[in-house]
Amino acid sequence: MTTTEIAYLAVLLLLVVVAVATVLMRSVFAAVISLSLFSVLTAVVFALLQAVDVALAEAVIGAGLSTAFFMSAVATTRGK
Amino acid sequence: MGERPGQVIIAIVLLFVGVTLIQAVFGMDLDPLRSDGIAAYYLDNAMSDTAAVNAVAAVLLDYRAFDPFGEATVIFGSVVVVSMLATGGTLRSSGYGMSILVGRSIGFLTPFFWLFPIYVILNGHLSPGGGFQGGVSISVLVIVLSVAFGSEYTANRLSLERLGFAESAAALGFILVGLVGVLQGATFLANAAAGVPVGHPGELISAGIVAVLNIVIGCKVAAGLASIFFYMSKEGGEVR
Amino acid sequence: MILPATQVVVVVVFLIGLYGVLTCRKLIRICISLSVMESGLILFLVSLGFVEGATAPIFDPRHAVYVDPVPQALALTAIVIAAGVNAIALMLAVLAYRHYGTTDIREIWRRRA
Repeated sequence: MTTTEIAYLAVLLLLVVVAVATVLMRSVFAAVISLSLFSVLTAVVFALLQAVDVALAEAVIGAGLSTAFFMSAVATTRGK
Repeated sequence: MGERPGQVIIAIVLLFVGVTLIQAVFGMDLDPLRSDGIAAYYLDNAMSDTAAVNAVAAVLLDYRAFDPFGEATVIFGSVVVVSMLATGGTLRSSGYGMSILVGRSIGFLTPFFWLFPIYVILNGHLSPGGGFQGGVSISVLVIVLSVAFGSEYTANRLSLERLGFAESAAALGFILVGLVGVLQGATFLANAAAGVPVGHPGELISAGIVAVLNIVIGCKVAAGLASIFFYMSKEGGEVR
Repeated sequence: MILPATQVVVVVVFLIGLYGVLTCRKLIRICISLSVMESGLILFLVSLGFVEGATAPIFDPRHAVYVDPVPQALALTAIVIAAGVNAIALMLAVLAYRHYGTTDIREIWRRRA
């Protein structure tokens, strides 16, 4: 196994851990931030899979825009 | 939770879907680059057909240009639905923005923030990126401005009517660019086949309609998603 | 090595998202779980075109083998559509909150009955 493969497997493991944390997180606010982190990690995986366009889109949309949408909805519903 | 039958049902569903997925994902016999496949054709001919260096942009905006057309329609539809659901209501009054220090520094940095989306959109046919990524970056920029200055102030400067006009104009522009191909005697959204000059690969002004569609899609996505954000940050609307 | 690991992660992430959709009770958490499922799906689309040792599909005379650009184009479209669909789902959750004062689906179910 080369170092690239080991690094890739580490990112994949982190991705699964963050996905579990996103779904099981107790507070909705923390879950939204965790989802943002999950999107950034997905973007890293896309970049390592040589899909640079998709990585750029996922980083901008998942970590930027979706988080803003979720935050605005969480702020309106106040976590109820 | 705690109810036993519910958990059993959930476990059965997860098991069933998991087994199906494993069979589907691992059972696929994949060879993406086989010589009679479509990817091999695209990779061999994209450079000479469209003069776009970025193969994804060539596939997305030339060979399969109906895909972004449908995608633009979906964004348009979601703007319409969100604006229909967010009847009445005012922009959040707590959005007074941050301190004067943040306001001044954001005001100073905003022109530099514009550099990234404009670079990504204009070089969409030469490097990673394109209309989608650049347009979403612009709408994120609008969100940053409304966090720093308050959503009321930003929405007054960039009125929702103006954003809607920009989006509709970009949608019309998309259709007009497609009609160029029809007027030239080729198909809808045809590029080099319709006699559009494609230029030389690697130059900024090249690739025919690919570059034009990147700009149009950038305007459309930016205006659409920014107006969705403004509609979503309204509060206190009535429920019908 | 890279491709099988990615496929395992696709299945795992999709199942995690599905578990969240089935067990969460608040509408916004269901939207979050749906986003996780969508990410798994897009990861699958991208992994379809991956070729070991190939480079990103930006033409460059120094490289000869590129990954398949078609699934990447579809994934790009899917990501943008996912953002629009997410916005509609969240807007519906906000409307449910305004109408019922809560986004808990069991509470909403009880009040409707």
